[in-house]
Amino acid sequence: MDPSLILQAIVSGVLASGLYALVSVGLALAIGVIGIVNFAHGEFFMIGAFLTYTLFVVFGIDPVLAVLFVAPALFLLGAVLYRSTIQHVLSAPELNQMLLTFGIGIVLQNLALLIWGGDPVSIAGIEYRSVGYRFAGISVGLVSLVSFAVSLALVIGLNLALTRTRLGRAMRAVAQNRTGAALVGLEVNRVYLVAFALSALLAGIGGVMIAVIQSPTPTIGLAFTLKAFSITVLAGLGNIRGILAASLVVALSESLVATLVPNGGTLSNAVFFAIIFLALVWRSRRTV
Amino acid sequence: MTAPLSSLLRHTPGCPSFPPLVAKTPLAPFSHSLGGNMKRILTLALASLFAMALAQPVTIGLMSPLTGGAAGTGQAQKAGFELALAEINAAGGVLGAPLEVILEDTQANAEVALAAFEKLMTEDGVSFIAGGYSSGATLGLIQSFKTFQPVIAWIGGAVSGVGIDGFDGIEELLAEDPWFFHVHPWDYQNVEAATNFVSGSGVNSVALLHEDSAFGGPGAAGAQGLLEAAGLTVPIREAFTSTLLGGSGDFRPAISKAQATDADMLYWIGYDSDVVPLIGQVRELGYVPNQIFGAPPGWPSEFAAAPEAQCVTGLIGFLPNLPNPEARTFTDAYTALHGSEPDNYMAALAYATLWMYADAINAAGTADEEAVMEQMRSMTFGSPMGDWSFGQSELTSQQGFGADMWLVFQYQDGVREIVYPLSKATAPLATCR
Repeated sequence: MDPSLILQAIVSGVLASGLYALVSVGLALAIGVIGIVNFAHGEFFMIGAFLTYTLFVVFGIDPVLAVLFVAPALFLLGAVLYRSTIQHVLSAPELNQMLLTFGIGIVLQNLALLIWGGDPVSIAGIEYRSVGYRFAGISVGLVSLVSFAVSLALVIGLNLALTRTRLGRAMRAVAQNRTGAALVGLEVNRVYLVAFALSALLAGIGGVMIAVIQSPTPTIGLAFTLKAFSITVLAGLGNIRGILAASLVVALSESLVATLVPNGGTLSNAVFFAIIFLALVWRSRRTV
Repeated sequence: MTAPLSSLLRHTPGCPSFPPLVAKTPLAPFSHSLGGNMKRILTLALASLFAMALAQPVTIGLMSPLTGGAAGTGQAQKAGFELALAEINAAGGVLGAPLEVILEDTQANAEVALAAFEKLMTEDGVSFIAGGYSSGATLGLIQSFKTFQPVIAWIGGAVSGVGIDGFDGIEELLAEDPWFFHVHPWDYQNVEAATNFVSGSGVNSVALLHEDSAFGGPGAAGAQGLLEAAGLTVPIREAFTSTLLGGSGDFRPAISKAQATDADMLYWIGYDSDVVPLIGQVRELGYVPNQIFGAPPGWPSEFAAAPEAQCVTGLIGFLPNLPNPEARTFTDAYTALHGSEPDNYMAALAYATLWMYADAINAAGTADEEAVMEQMRSMTFGSPMGDWSFGQSELTSQQGFGADMWLVFQYQDGVREIVYPLSKATAPLATCR
């Protein structure tokens, strides 16, 4: 096989890992801080994509600028959903929490279907979507490169914020011991609200990117929820630092298998879930 | 989900309303001295009014994927059904009564479709079915079709099974059943249309990329066989998972492999949601074949304005600029009802199918299934694509549209120009290397 094909696969895999990390880190935040598995996380991502599309179609706002509107909108949506729904099931059994978030996902998906219809939508007329730079036979797409850089910056920024800011430390304190954090004067519910809203914001930014890269449909969220959940499991539930490495492993494996194996593009999901399976088995053996 | 189409349409502005059931000619005021003729007229009028009031409305069960990944196609079918229903009822309905429909959501999912079909059979008791989409969902329905045996005019589900060893397709399983009518062309007819275009487009080698479900796999295998039989080389046939079915949307590995073959044409089979990422990544990777030809069921409407769309060619069943008067009439009526031109050819197929039922039942003069099927087998029907009738395909004698339904268009400066067949072309094919 042509070595440039393998190099191309590595570059594509590394670049793809950024978006995976961005979507997964929001989910990890919700799990790590609030302790809730949000199955509507992919729908935040989908709403972000459709808002980007709408801003472009209705107001002619380029997706690069749209992020300035979409991110706060998703933060607000996350905050409202937390106050109106999530907050009330925090002490309920985990199954109830999961069913609630699953229901929220279905509602958001069907709302999107009502508002935007079921057809894939695409942002037309942006010159930079298909721009690629070639070096030594390797092509690097501008959008992939920027989305990787932004995702990396956001994930690292979130990590820094969690360790070096007052709010971040509050989140970690609440995650470690809710009662103890409340006893020392932290407003636990407010910290949860911010964490959940921030999680939605991060998914929304991922949605902006996917609106440029792909043609989103109202059902695009579920696939990303599953992948984000799997990456979160691979990293260790709630382990935000591990998200980058887990995303890289998954994206690189997908890309390499797709390139090296005939018809390997059909195996990407199998590779993805095989990695998760192996990680879970390995972890369970370590803990025995 | 059950959507009461007729109730929606009744309140839709701009939608023609059902004609009044009373005579429009003013009648003389009642008196005790009515003449003999007037008495007869009144008696007849009252009798016909009574008959219309007694006329049992015919109900047709419709099945479309209104939600889920194929919702775009399902919503297009719904839009086509709505227009046909409005027109049929404005023209007097069916057997003297407004046509009624019950629309069920299949989600293009075998289990959901089965529940929807069995509800139509057992709870609603309908005798006529139209709609359908997705070969996988259709295959899951076949046993139940054979149990209930209503009259079925099936729009989707193109996997015939013809030429595929060890796999029974829809045509193979239902070819002998007299109650099954297939409207959409079969997979080999799709491939035949595409291959006719490709082999005549001046290319010598074709790189084939296809999605890996029941839609793309057999289509690509058939295409490879026909292309090679036509003397073209197919240096690569590579599968991917569609974004519609949970694929990652990263087509670069498959495209890079195709690029390495330096084939004249990139021919891909996938779904609507693959169009933007796949073509964008072809451009990004600097792959510039003579032609990029795609065969998804539909194309995102906004894609026409994208710079990377220029010169891309594709297969489609209907376009509003199809040069025939029926297409113009349909497009105008559709635009008046829905506010935009039909984007997905499934709208035109759904429209044609519901009108076919109305015409066949009216011609039969009864809703008796045998009589209606007899009319379906013998009549010629109108459609936005031109006249059509049920005829012979590879295995069944009840096949609606064939390879000649398909058009090849090319994006040229933001417009989908028809470039093949030449008899319907609105512009010549441009080469873009």
